[in-house]
Amino acid sequence: MSLREVYLVDGRRTPQAKAGTALKDVGVPYLGSYLLRTILDEQGIENDVVDEVIFGNTGAPPKYPNIGRVIGLMAGLDKRTSGYTVHRNCASGMEALAQGYLKIASGRSDLIFAGGIESMSQMPLIYSKEMTDLFVNIMKAKSMGEKMKAISAFRPPFLSPIIAIEQGLTDPFCGMNMGLTAEVLAREFNISREEQDTFANRSHNLAIKALKEGKWDEEILSLAFGEKMEKLLTKDVGPRENSTIEGLGKMRPYFEKESGTVTVGNSCPITDGGSVFLMASEEAVKKHNLKPMARMVDYHFHGLEPERMGMGPLLASDGVFKRTGLSLGQMDVVEINEAFAAQVLSVRKGFAEKAVADRFGIDTVHGEIAEENFNPNGGGIALGHPVGSSGCRIVVTLAHELKRRKAKYGLASLCIGGGQGGATIIENLMN
Amino acid sequence: METKNISLEIKDKVAYIGFGYNNEKSMTTLDEPTLKEAKELVENVKGKVKSKEVVGVIFFSHIDSCFIAGADINLISTLKTESDGAFGAEQGQLIYNDIEDLSVPTVACVHGPCLGGGMELALACKTIICSGDKKTILGLPEVKLGLIPGFGGTYRMPKRVGLPNALDLILAGKTINAKKAKRIGLVDGVYPKERLISMGEKWLKKNKKKASLKESVTDLATDNFITRKIIFQKARESVLKLTKGFYQAPLKILDTMESGASKGRASYLASEAQAFGELCVSEQSKNLQHIFFLMEGAKKYNGPKSEKQVSAPARGAVLGAGTMGGGIAWLMSNSNMYPLLKDINNDALELGLKQSSAIYRNGVKKRKLTFEDFERKQRSINPTTSYAGFKNVDLVIEAIVENLDIKKKVFADLENHVSDDCIIASNTSSLKVTDMAEAFERPERFAGLHFFNPVNKMPLVEIVAHDKVAPETLEALYKFVLASKKTPVLCKDGPGFIVNRILIPYLNEASYLLMEGVPPQDVEEACLNFGMPMGPGRLLDEVGLDVAAKVGKILYDSLGERVRPIDLSDKITELGFLGKKNGKGFFLYDEKGKETGPNPEVMNLLPKKKIHMDEVEIQKRVFLPMINEASMILDEGLVSSAAEVDLALIFGIGFPPFRGGLLRYADSEGLERIAKTIQEYADNVDAKRYALSDYLKNLVEQKKKFYEA
Repeated sequence: MSLREVYLVDGRRTPQAKAGTALKDVGVPYLGSYLLRTILDEQGIENDVVDEVIFGNTGAPPKYPNIGRVIGLMAGLDKRTSGYTVHRNCASGMEALAQGYLKIASGRSDLIFAGGIESMSQMPLIYSKEMTDLFVNIMKAKSMGEKMKAISAFRPPFLSPIIAIEQGLTDPFCGMNMGLTAEVLAREFNISREEQDTFANRSHNLAIKALKEGKWDEEILSLAFGEKMEKLLTKDVGPRENSTIEGLGKMRPYFEKESGTVTVGNSCPITDGGSVFLMASEEAVKKHNLKPMARMVDYHFHGLEPERMGMGPLLASDGVFKRTGLSLGQMDVVEINEAFAAQVLSVRKGFAEKAVADRFGIDTVHGEIAEENFNPNGGGIALGHPVGSSGCRIVVTLAHELKRRKAKYGLASLCIGGGQGGATIIENLMN
Repeated sequence: METKNISLEIKDKVAYIGFGYNNEKSMTTLDEPTLKEAKELVENVKGKVKSKEVVGVIFFSHIDSCFIAGADINLISTLKTESDGAFGAEQGQLIYNDIEDLSVPTVACVHGPCLGGGMELALACKTIICSGDKKTILGLPEVKLGLIPGFGGTYRMPKRVGLPNALDLILAGKTINAKKAKRIGLVDGVYPKERLISMGEKWLKKNKKKASLKESVTDLATDNFITRKIIFQKARESVLKLTKGFYQAPLKILDTMESGASKGRASYLASEAQAFGELCVSEQSKNLQHIFFLMEGAKKYNGPKSEKQVSAPARGAVLGAGTMGGGIAWLMSNSNMYPLLKDINNDALELGLKQSSAIYRNGVKKRKLTFEDFERKQRSINPTTSYAGFKNVDLVIEAIVENLDIKKKVFADLENHVSDDCIIASNTSSLKVTDMAEAFERPERFAGLHFFNPVNKMPLVEIVAHDKVAPETLEALYKFVLASKKTPVLCKDGPGFIVNRILIPYLNEASYLLMEGVPPQDVEEACLNFGMPMGPGRLLDEVGLDVAAKVGKILYDSLGERVRPIDLSDKITELGFLGKKNGKGFFLYDEKGKETGPNPEVMNLLPKKKIHMDEVEIQKRVFLPMINEASMILDEGLVSSAAEVDLALIFGIGFPPFRGGLLRYADSEGLERIAKTIQEYADNVDAKRYALSDYLKNLVEQKKKFYEA
């Protein structure tokens, strides 16, 4: 089957804010809907020509089980525009792009909004199994006596809640918390505490530098926040101007309290945010007179052992290079999502060192990535990692950076909890 | 039997009586032929009940969106004498008594408006059920026309929902939705509209439940002599407080209901009919009916015709996020227009968001909307500092600083960023629309659209035309204003348009009275006693003394000595007395904006020597210049009729509705007398301020009224 070209018309994102701060009250769909609305308006497209809305989301707010559909409606898209939600953990936003890619490439669709969204502030607390069982028994009880009997089984510890977010960040297969998987990589590939802190510091410095140079102005759309929805958030809440390696060095390891090296400071914070691309076929580009900013060349997802999930980008990137015939050397900018400093540094070792590549069964040494081309505006450690969104967010940031540089190819890749990696290559069209 | 307006079908011994039969209009009203047919029909059914051919009756409507909207107002307005009115009411009462007396179950199946005479018909049935549709509203709004429900509504409503609820409904004339109607027991069930008739059939077979314990207790508590007396007394107090005693109908209703409380049906209904007769020919009711017709008239665009099919703009944008811009953005978001709100920086945009948020949150607090609706609508406002998204916009309203040069620059720039069919309007209150039109490459797409402050509360919007405007622009703006649930008035470009132009002579003259030594409190009270919602001093504070001075000056520049402001007005603003917005004007205000008394510093600027002036004299001094100015607006052709002036003043400044409008009031007072008094003031007070207009002079000479011109 011959595939059609897939264009990325425009990509935007919300400012990202650490969970529990500025964006904590924003109704979850509204982290996305205004991005769609703005892109439609700026492209001058009517509200009834988009075929589908696809959104990545992991927290599945109980009120919005299919948030992709709700985002489309809230954005004022025609009711006939279908919408759905995808979940591939940390790469949900990239999975949305992948599905959009396939649908357009195969000729099924012409215009698709694909993106990701996450409100980690609003992830629920869950009743324990004991408490849930108790409720079920009470509801099942027919007589007053049976009810009393069911109620009498109550014990106070039943009330201690399960924090959904904590459970979500623990691998169900190997039972390890994501932070512990980073510790595995740090140990096995010899990533020192200092290297990790230096990298984390770099992330903050570059993010602040990008902010000062106005680099975020185009990709971030400001968003009303607060309970009254009357203040505008225009920039990320996360990057620290006063970050120092020494300061980061003082933090205590969080996951392996005594012997570990992974701290809250050299990991990404949990964050709220959303991002989206309008994707189009060549026919749609012509029909609606659009000026796409990039072309999505291809993507690849790859699995690996859950306890080393952080190396996912190495396998996924290798896969997308093989699929496209392109090489790391041809990539003008590389964005790798910074879940943990140890994890990103391990991935770079895997690109450059044969021994590490071999360890994961990769037969190519892809080479070094020049420092100025790698996460040039910082990454998840400073900007945060709204899980459902990041897979799309890094592509949005990549597309805007390629545009600024008038460069050609870019790679965006991220590790996925559960032991996977995802990678996407795009080609800049704005020269 | 052969019928034209009401259908009768008998199936399985059930009589189905359908209103709105053969009705081509969207609303069904009880006009003369319908009432006549109803009478015959009910008598026919009565016979069939007696002969056991009919064992149940269902009332419904053939029209999808209306049960019965009430008695035909045209019919009421033709009633000439009290006894005509009373007789008319009695005829209706007899029909409804017959319905009430049917010895078989009767069910009214209500979908759509069920108001006035329609509500009274439903009340005569043993069971009322209704659809849960948004269009379904129930109530007795007669009081709004200065009337009492005359077909037994005041008799039957308390029996069904209890006295306190009935008084709420009848005295305020408020309509309620299905949910509320069920809660207070007005309807027995709420069902989907498609299931209404089949549920009605089930209700025919149901034995109506006995009153619950709670209801019996409530009845016991309210249905005795003493509590009744207290309830009526409270109701009377609140009516007097709300209407300041200006309105006769609610007091008459209270009298009828209180004195009839222990009467039997026949004698109660006789007194209700009597009251209806008295009210329906009263001047107040005629005035309120007049306004009803004005409002009905305003629901249809009657400006220059366009050849194109014009619809209301779907997407909106606002330039300038100040008080007015934020308010207009709120209005657009409330009508699902997903407005873009543009200003030069985020701080300015936040001010606009704050405006709309405050209005919405007030609605949430009063439970008029849910938090979810607030979030959806508030977030549908898209704040921006660029024109990037303006291609999809159908209507842009400009609400930036009142400076002609800046506005012209902005318009010239704006035109490069919008589509060819985009309509552009300016919310200017003081600049010339004609001057602004010069900035456009396509001036035909542009007009003035004057909102009043605060946008959410003020119902009037002036649509201001200029020579080059296209008819479709005016029509689209008209439809936009209607769709936003505001009242539009079309006018041509002239200083101050309609409302401010007529208001300025009034405010001016009030200020001159102060300079003559009339105590400010006397001026305020004279105007309040005339029926104005607030006195001139309070109004000036509300508008802002600086704004008023600015508008006054602009009018003075174009209209001349007739509207020369008092010398003191500049000084007052220079001293920093800006009105309510900074807490001090003619009056002082606390942090919540509540008035706390006169401002002694301003009072000190007024002449020490006070004179006494008769209240009627004060009223003449301030209201006659308004009439004079309004006649000049008509003369200049800025509006097409006296009706539009009246509508504008009622909805723009709250001119007392019971007076029917400024010019209708003038007509009723006699133009000859008015002209004579103006002439006297010209001789004794000020020749320029009271220079009698030629238009008014001509009317007097031709012995015509404003409404006959």
